[in-house]
Amino acid sequence: MIWDLYLVMPLALIFIGALFLMLFSLVQKVELANYNLVTVAFLTLSLIIELIIFQNVEHDYLFETIFAKMFIVDKLSTLFNILFLSGAILTLLINNNYFKSRDYYNGEFFALLLFSIFGMMMLAHTNELITAFISIELASITLYVLVGYNHHSLKSSEAMLKYIILGSLAGVFFILGVALVYGVVGSTYLGDIYTYLAHHQNDEMTLLIVGMMFMMVTLLFKIGAAPFHSWVVDVYIGSPFPVTMFMATTLKIAIFSILLRLFLVDFAPIYPIISEIIKAVAILTLLIGSLLAISQTQLKGMLAASSIVHVGYMLIALYAISLGSSFAASAIIFYLISYFLSAVGAFGILSFLASDEEKRHLSFDDFKGFAHERPYMAAAMTIFMLSLAGFPSTIGFLGKFYIFMSAIEAGEILLAGFGIMIAFISIYYYFKLIALMYFYPSANPKKKFPFSISTLLIVAMALMIVWGGIGTGLIPFIAGADGLLTIASEALKTIGK
Amino acid sequence: MLSPDAFLFVAVVIFAIGLIGLMLRRSLFVVYLSIELMLSSVNLILATFSRVHGEMGGGVVSLLMIAVIAAEAAIFLALIIYIYRITKSVDSQSITQLTHKRDEA
Repeated sequence: MIWDLYLVMPLALIFIGALFLMLFSLVQKVELANYNLVTVAFLTLSLIIELIIFQNVEHDYLFETIFAKMFIVDKLSTLFNILFLSGAILTLLINNNYFKSRDYYNGEFFALLLFSIFGMMMLAHTNELITAFISIELASITLYVLVGYNHHSLKSSEAMLKYIILGSLAGVFFILGVALVYGVVGSTYLGDIYTYLAHHQNDEMTLLIVGMMFMMVTLLFKIGAAPFHSWVVDVYIGSPFPVTMFMATTLKIAIFSILLRLFLVDFAPIYPIISEIIKAVAILTLLIGSLLAISQTQLKGMLAASSIVHVGYMLIALYAISLGSSFAASAIIFYLISYFLSAVGAFGILSFLASDEEKRHLSFDDFKGFAHERPYMAAAMTIFMLSLAGFPSTIGFLGKFYIFMSAIEAGEILLAGFGIMIAFISIYYYFKLIALMYFYPSANPKKKFPFSISTLLIVAMALMIVWGGIGTGLIPFIAGADGLLTIASEALKTIGK
Repeated sequence: MLSPDAFLFVAVVIFAIGLIGLMLRRSLFVVYLSIELMLSSVNLILATFSRVHGEMGGGVVSLLMIAVIAAEAAIFLALIIYIYRITKSVDSQSITQLTHKRDEA
């Protein structure tokens, strides 16, 4: 019982923090920076406890006497929780300037963000489909509100409208899938479904496979994979910068946490049926994402479209899992971390610039001569772009390297070649920005480097990306890129069947 | 006792009506109602399967679902009212800034 209380502490802290902020948002006198500080304090405390838990947890169920086996605590869920929490902390701190520059942020924003994180953490712990549905909805419903948070802008409301209609539709398909699975198996626990699948022939369980496909549709929708990608660019452009950053990184990781768990545990017996679908989706995602990214004129839109392409790379690894590749799953986790670092940094620079100047720095043309105006920011942006493109000596290169390695290990050399070709195409839209920044004269005089928590964090993240790419093993006792991969594979070992 | 097939048939019909309504109608209220209709049909499926298995699990889940649907309804209705206050219309085509003016942003 005490042990369970210890394991549930990070979740409980986030929930208490959310309630606390919700009540305190009624107090008008509190400054916005203080709300931010309190939120970050709750998140950091939770993160520290998760880091301690990660050392000594193997495979546990939360409050087994009350919830049966609904909530699982293993290294995988703890690792994902660490990612969500650090994602939220970085999002809040990097956007510190942005929050101050806009008048529509208030305490409720932070409360909603914490509720969203709570939903995601529940999602990582879930071992049962109804809990998965409720946590997906908890994470999404709060995000619907956050997307429409800029109530001065009709675009923000339109993005919210698009997201809520399509998101609820996707939610319906998930619960429909759960209902069909329940109808066949008579239980919604992942373990029970696996046992059922393992002991029956394929032609006996058409309904079950249809149900699982419906669930897959929802998860592919939420990560923005190809046939279900139409909302991504519009919603990302319409929503405020902090929310875009949060959706592109943390939400994506959260959906991958349940996708990996479902795929590794439940889908294992039906890999022959599903693998071809995943392959088609991966190829389509890569192609359509690249086309969309090339055609964008706004940087936010380009980053949104490129996030579709990055999902495509991860789907290649997902396909490799279904062919029996041994480290494809840890490659996905590593890629998530590398994408997360680069995307948060790139969005961070955009939001920092947008907080200075109301309308500028949104399209490619606004970045002409940026390197002469703000050399340090431009250097950081270059590093993020290189990492997103997968240039050697950045962490993004290692991420892509492991993904393609896993595809080759599974014997899919053509698919790996296709992925590499897409990576070459992606150089066009990433390097376009670098070229614009460096090869044009600047209209404005050089500005001093502004010292604030946002800018310092951006520089720190740029350094982390380079260190993750080349500095592996230079610093003792701190995990480099190889260490991250080891941690990921260690975490995956504890997943229960 | 009716056979479960009858209930499942009704659920499929309701689900199809919801899906078609979502795709064809432009009024935001009808779009919202269509989504609710689809969720309710899933509830019916859950309750039917619960009866087939002879246990209460599915029924309890459909109760939980109603809570989730209510949460979604609150946000959806708030959004519709907000959009009506600005555009004086609940037509989903009345708000098209993102699709047509993306370059100006």
